[in-house]
Amino acid sequence: MAQITDKIKKEVKEVIYEFFAEECETPIEDISDKTNIISDLDGDSLMFLELIEIFKKKYSLNIELKTIGKYAVKHPVKTVGELINMQLLIIEHENNILNFE
Amino acid sequence: MIQKQAFLFPAFITDYTQKELELLSGNGIDFNVYLKTASDKLGIVLPKFSYTEEDFRNDELLAQIIAYLFSCAFSDLLKKKNIKPSFGAGYSMGIYANLYAAESISLEEGIHIIYNAFKLVNELACSGKYGMGGIIGLNVDDINEIIKKSNSNIEIINSNSEFSHVVAGTKNDVNTVLRLATIEGALNAVELNVKTPYHSRFLTVFDDRFTSFVNTIVLKAPKFPIVSTFDQRLITTSDELKKELVFNLTSKINWYKTMQVLLKNRVNEFYECGAGKDLSKIARFIDGDFKFSSIYKI
Repeated sequence: MAQITDKIKKEVKEVIYEFFAEECETPIEDISDKTNIISDLDGDSLMFLELIEIFKKKYSLNIELKTIGKYAVKHPVKTVGELINMQLLIIEHENNILNFE
Repeated sequence: MIQKQAFLFPAFITDYTQKELELLSGNGIDFNVYLKTASDKLGIVLPKFSYTEEDFRNDELLAQIIAYLFSCAFSDLLKKKNIKPSFGAGYSMGIYANLYAAESISLEEGIHIIYNAFKLVNELACSGKYGMGGIIGLNVDDINEIIKKSNSNIEIINSNSEFSHVVAGTKNDVNTVLRLATIEGALNAVELNVKTPYHSRFLTVFDDRFTSFVNTIVLKAPKFPIVSTFDQRLITTSDELKKELVFNLTSKINWYKTMQVLLKNRVNEFYECGAGKDLSKIARFIDGDFKFSSIYKI
């Protein structure tokens, strides 16, 4: 369980913006929290998986992928902003994220 | 420092970069010549190629043909640039383009093999009873547990990485397992646009017939070793290639292990010989010190 600080919020946002800018070959200034990951960026589940792995390593998270999958079924993510919020919840609650609801 | 290079050949094209034709024509390679060769060999007029042409996505034979043609054109481009691989590996039906790149067969012979393999297994596709699915986010044990509990008539036929797998079998059971996989926490579980349960036990009935066909064709020894996706052995002879063609159609494959064997053989630079970027995307989840070099930046 990590305390979500302004520094972590900033880091997560930066990582996600830079990730999509590079992966989707989109100028970073064209990405906002309202950008739709599928329709605007042509994103896919492999990108989602890769981002999870990035954050697992970066913050040494103890979380199983299937726990995230179960959470995502109930709380589907469509926009970059929603994805940032989900990643912050994952960092904060790790494997307890399902109990957070 | 680059130690060894490998060419990888995709099976189908999920998404084009939409820069493929420009890349080829910019390097003096006319893709229409490849299309015409295929048309002549098949004895049908192929639809004019466009990135959005539905026939090249929805028609299983044409989807294989177009993937093969692009892969052959890309390997010709690499050859033109004097890039020679130490190894090759073909993802599923990507094996045919691998044989072309390794100079075991001609472009026409590849079309001939693809057509005959397709014709042979097409009775399964025509029944509409079979399908395939992709599951991301669960491991092999998780998926096998779902298959066992639901008593489903399907199996994992390929692993791309620890958390990315392909299943094949009866269509209803594929859909049941995909639905249960989502409930169990798969990040994505989708039916693939394929009506043939490639690499599954349902294809073993074609072993003998496909072996008989393969024995009618002439394969030259490959110019570079090809890693088997069936058992990851290094193939260097035409006899072994023939065996591999049969394994590749009718048995389970394992792309994850294939990539690991390439890495163990000190490959640290890969080229994806084909349209789209599917294989480089999959490779992001394979540990190792390697890079995918973009054909677009040669």
